Amino acid sequence: MEYTGEQLLIGEIGNFFILIAFAFGGLSTIAYFLAEQNEDTSWKKIGRWSFWAHSLGVVGMVATLFFMIFNQYFEYHYIWQHSSSDLPLRYIFSCFWEGIEGSFMLWMFWHVIILNVLLRFVGKWEASVMAVAVSVQVFLTSMLLGVFLLDYKLGSNPFTVLTRQHPDFVNLPIFQMPDYVDLLDGRGLNPLLQNYWMTIHPPTLFLGFSLVLVPFAYAIAGLWKGMFTEWVKPALPWTYLGIGILGVGILMGGAWAYEALSFGGFWAWDPVENASLVPWLILVGAGHLMLIQRKEKTSVLTLFIMTALSFCLIQYSSFLTKSGILGESSVHSFTDLGMTGQLAISLFFYVFLSIGLIIWRNKDFPKNKKEDHLWSREFWMFMGALVLMISAFQIEFSTSFPVINKLFGTNLAPSSERIEYYNKWQLPLAVLISAMVAFTQFMKYKRTEPRLLLKQLSLSIGAALALTVTAGMIFTITNPLVLLLIFTSSWAIASNLDYVIRILNGKFSKAGASIAHVGFGLIMLGALISTSQSDVISENTSLYDVSVLGEDFNNNENILLMKDDTLMMGDYFVSYRGKETDGIFIHYEVEYMQADASGQLATAFTLYPFIQLNPRMGNVAEPYTKHYVDQDVYTHITYAELEERKKDIKTSEHSIALGDTIFTQNSFMVLDSLDRKPQLKNKGLTINDLALGASFTLYDVQTQAHAVEPLFVIRDRQYSFSVPDSVPEAGVTIQFQGIDPTTETFSFSVVEKDPRYREFIVMKAIVFPWINVLWLGIIVMGIGTLLAVFQRFKRL
Amino acid sequence: MKRMHIILILLIAVMIGAMIGAINDSSSYADFDEAFTNPSSEYHVVGKLARDREMKYEPETNPDLFTFWLEDVNGEEKQVVLHKSKPQDFERSEQIVLIGSAEGDVFHANDILMKCPSKYTDGTVQAKEQASI
Repeated sequence: MEYTGEQLLIGEIGNFFILIAFAFGGLSTIAYFLAEQNEDTSWKKIGRWSFWAHSLGVVGMVATLFFMIFNQYFEYHYIWQHSSSDLPLRYIFSCFWEGIEGSFMLWMFWHVIILNVLLRFVGKWEASVMAVAVSVQVFLTSMLLGVFLLDYKLGSNPFTVLTRQHPDFVNLPIFQMPDYVDLLDGRGLNPLLQNYWMTIHPPTLFLGFSLVLVPFAYAIAGLWKGMFTEWVKPALPWTYLGIGILGVGILMGGAWAYEALSFGGFWAWDPVENASLVPWLILVGAGHLMLIQRKEKTSVLTLFIMTALSFCLIQYSSFLTKSGILGESSVHSFTDLGMTGQLAISLFFYVFLSIGLIIWRNKDFPKNKKEDHLWSREFWMFMGALVLMISAFQIEFSTSFPVINKLFGTNLAPSSERIEYYNKWQLPLAVLISAMVAFTQFMKYKRTEPRLLLKQLSLSIGAALALTVTAGMIFTITNPLVLLLIFTSSWAIASNLDYVIRILNGKFSKAGASIAHVGFGLIMLGALISTSQSDVISENTSLYDVSVLGEDFNNNENILLMKDDTLMMGDYFVSYRGKETDGIFIHYEVEYMQADASGQLATAFTLYPFIQLNPRMGNVAEPYTKHYVDQDVYTHITYAELEERKKDIKTSEHSIALGDTIFTQNSFMVLDSLDRKPQLKNKGLTINDLALGASFTLYDVQTQAHAVEPLFVIRDRQYSFSVPDSVPEAGVTIQFQGIDPTTETFSFSVVEKDPRYREFIVMKAIVFPWINVLWLGIIVMGIGTLLAVFQRFKRL
Repeated sequence: MKRMHIILILLIAVMIGAMIGAINDSSSYADFDEAFTNPSSEYHVVGKLARDREMKYEPETNPDLFTFWLEDVNGEEKQVVLHKSKPQDFERSEQIVLIGSAEGDVFHANDILMKCPSKYTDGTVQAKEQASI
């Protein structure tokens, strides 16, 4: 079949860029390697120029893919899979990195930017550092090649034409048309990713991941050259830039989950979240060991291990999320594209490279003769790094269950009480870490006078104690571990603030680290209070007692709201007011009311949680949250009937005379009289319309009487229509259909809805107190880290 | 390096503790056969919705109760009581993971994970809306 209108050239251009990036990446790695081994400047020049050519290839392929998404070339597999003609332009970025290939390209793009900046700073480290760093790019580019090596398909190419990716599609009717390109539409972007956080969270996260390459490349270069401590100074600012950006990126993912997902919180210990948190924890440990080494030249081995580990763990998390192995245990990992082997090889290469070099060089590492003093800053920073290592290990081990199952044939599944399961370990570790953050800042390197230290700390201890007691009383917290963590994290905040004010005299240029620590304390405190004191206020008030099924099943977290009923929920009264359909969104209006001083209910706020209809990918319920300074009221729909229940509606026709009765299932109505001058107002009628009203009295099951008057209208003496009237309490709507003057009968049609059926929603509402402290902490930590990084770069 | 050695031993001990703790607290994947031979202990059961069997959700009486039948990987069908609201889009699910335990003849699930028709690869091709006139 000859197709017309396919844009084949652009794909060739994209492929050309991939090949350039791959070939010159490889050349650059080899040239830099030879330059380092032979101390040869001409090889170094070749390395640098071919790295620039590689950069051009990467930027070129990114631009090409953007161009293709922008112009909606659905004949390409990647565009077809991740975009559609109705996709709003603002989601073009989310669309770019929704797939594995796009996320690899984003990662490579950041590496290229970082390494080009690094070239300005790198100096005599150029050959060795770049050889390591560019080799990573070669592995990443190979993931995009999409060529066959014997029987093994190397990588997945984003510039593959749809009919080549799916040869079976050729038999579909649409591909029988030569101009199928004009008809084809894409499958569209996952509705969950159609959110502004998805525009900024992935690039921030990947920038953080990418920055970890720099300290790793320096560490490997240090091992290679036998310069075991000198690499730390130039690597340090990059490490902290990575800590800051990766940390913010991870928590942006939390913000997205909180805003757009309906699992009810910002952190769920999902494997994909864990996979990005763990490298961060290790990187923080490595960063602090670097600080020790700048001062004391100790803990060389541990620093090498942790720096190498932080990068290898990023490779591992890329393996976990992109190989499809997490499939069953995580909701948002990718599906397998057959790259498992390739991802594993890339991971193992760097793991064995690191282990090999460390073992080879271990005997030459400078060993410190005497132990660190117990009352020294370096000792406690070292201990902090170890605690972070334990924390990371506990998370990663549990996250790796699918891998363990595959390797050892076990059947391990994550605990269903995921949050308690992790908190059992992470809470005590967080207590240790935040306490260390609090007191280590006041310690001196080498030796601190304990009595002086205690004196300096007394102020912040007092402040933290006061805050803990207050919080404990407000929220009536009895869990000692929670109280302890409130104490240590507020101590970390108070002590670091104190340090900025009293020791540094408010000199911001030096305060970066302390400010970042204040931010860390705020994050811990905000996360702890908002989650441990969160309150599911939507308890079910139905009559059905589920607790008879056993303690475990007392899962009353959802409330059923009949339309216009008002139910009490926590401090509020809540009412479902109706729904509104806007394109693919159904917004549900949920009114929250509170009683005012006189006892009258007044609207406090109205929330519009919604359901996004997507026939191709499934409907998605998204929450809507009312933000206050001190708390959030989070609401989302857990169940709503999306289609009218037609079987519950019954229509009947009646021809009756004056005084006759119409019976319906749950009511009866008597035609009392005819109204020749009915009310015309608010019915869309004018004074020129001839209207006749039929006055009924309707009695419902409670034998309550309702007046109901449908109208028969003749307009301009030409045509007639009817204005129906209804009694919602009885579920009845009556239409006045016509008049038969010969028999003096009147015809009506009656629509009955089962009055037991009313529109309803099932929803969940959670109050998160002081969650703003968490968001504030992220901002403070980000600013503090950037401040510290800026100072470090200035000293390079 | 005496203190360092103690710390090292402690570190390893805590890590082993974390491993054992993780395995002890973990659940495990099983089929109905295993879940029903060990009632009351928690399992992850993988299967798919038995579409021809009755499905019952009456939010009017209890929004946190939904019953249906699940066919496990061996083809065994059991009634499931999910103690949650009926998941949106439930009928479209391809694969279901239930987390809970067997009691009598019924499997009580506290949580449910669903895989809907794969978000990334299913073989349907769609034409543009305006083209389908």
